[in-house]
Amino acid sequence: MAARWMERGGIVAFAVALLYPLSALLAPVGPWRWDQDVAPQTMASIRVSLGLTAIAMMVVLLVGTPVAIYIARASFRERLLWQGALLLSILLPPLALGILLSIAFGPSGAAGGWLEHFGMRVSNNPPAFVATQVYVSIGYYVLGAIAAFQAVPAMLEKHAALLGQPPWAVFWRVTFPLSRLGLAAALSVAWVRALGEFGAVVITAYYPSGMPVQLWINLQSFGLPAVMPLLVVFLAAALPLPWIIHLLAQRRPHA
Amino acid sequence: MLEARIVKRRRDFTVDVSVRIEDGGCLALFGASGAGKSTILSSIAGIEQPDEGVVRLGDLQLYPPPLPLHRRPVGYLTQEPHLFPHLTVERNIVFGLGSRRTAAEAGWLKHLRESMGLASVWQAPAAQISGGQARRVALARMLARRPRLVLLDEPFGGLDRQLVRELIDALLAWRREIEFILMVIDHQAEILERLCPHAAVIAQGRIIQQGCWEQIRRAPANAAIGELLRPL
Repeated sequence: MAARWMERGGIVAFAVALLYPLSALLAPVGPWRWDQDVAPQTMASIRVSLGLTAIAMMVVLLVGTPVAIYIARASFRERLLWQGALLLSILLPPLALGILLSIAFGPSGAAGGWLEHFGMRVSNNPPAFVATQVYVSIGYYVLGAIAAFQAVPAMLEKHAALLGQPPWAVFWRVTFPLSRLGLAAALSVAWVRALGEFGAVVITAYYPSGMPVQLWINLQSFGLPAVMPLLVVFLAAALPLPWIIHLLAQRRPHA
Repeated sequence: MLEARIVKRRRDFTVDVSVRIEDGGCLALFGASGAGKSTILSSIAGIEQPDEGVVRLGDLQLYPPPLPLHRRPVGYLTQEPHLFPHLTVERNIVFGLGSRRTAAEAGWLKHLRESMGLASVWQAPAAQISGGQARRVALARMLARRPRLVLLDEPFGGLDRQLVRELIDALLAWRREIEFILMVIDHQAEILERLCPHAAVIAQGRIIQQGCWEQIRRAPANAAIGELLRPL
């Protein structure tokens, strides 16, 4: 019993230390600003961030999931190669990635020149915003998803196939239910990573401004009193989705 | 009829066997551990691919080219039951049946549930039943799909004699009903003898002797096989 309370004390101390920076929200920075100069842009940035990040996450799921399945089932050497490529994509400092993206997709880059040819511009617009978010977050999702799929015994999938189930049914009835906790963790990490992204987005998509860029604008234009309310709204908007994903993933299977 | 030739190179030797079993027939593969028996069975099942060979079940070509696993009317059972841990016993057993059950299937399932003694755990999560029950569920799950070919890779290992007897009786009873072709591996001759009157003795990936058990016991192909057949 005493040990249990010691453990609980430890986790409380951890949580206090983890969340301690949030106490700065109560710092005496003067009256918070939520007036006509601040509120409309801030609310717009929240719509931009939530809407476009949701689109980015769909891309991450649709592209990243089959890629993760492939890599999880590949040979050790091949897996190591692809995992290296994924690490490379998330290892770059975001600012550096933003610079590289804006060059590669700019008029002088191969892809950028090609897109320009079709009259498409990929900077300071919603596609640029979504593309940047996909770039910064998909590596996290795929690496997490690989680990989740690897935890499902390949023999279970083979038995499911021998019981007459085609590959998509094996995925929905066996692989997905047994890996969904790990997939949920991977997706929520990707979501948080994409939503909070600043360094790369500030280069490639200053407009439409998402929450992090708006935070920067508010700080530059009005100082801390305009930053604090945006932070509160940011936290309230960013937290529910990954939390719900975790909740759904941990529900007892209705088998 | 099952006709198979399996060639599979392994580090120490090459498995190279040919078998031919008539409809409703049965063959036991007997031999020491590591003789290549499991390789033969899993290559016929399609779990692994042979390097060369051919596998034909009636007019259905299983290899080459490898027929996708879900198109094979094959039941495959190993020592590990490999139940789906997130599903109940019932959902495991009906896993291979369509979502809409025919009246025949419903009656058939009821029969399986009663004859396998699974009524008490029918709605239990598969992850929570005992090891012996899990083996029964694995057997029932395989039979529920009425396979034309059943491959058993030591499915009775590590079970007490009472349970082994029950499972063998159940298997024989169901075989009379479905009339599948049976191939079975074990290193315990007495288990194989109950299931199949004929056996092929495997050593170093080859069939070195074939015949009924009485012949094999009377004149084992070599001393090592004789030793395997000697009672404890």
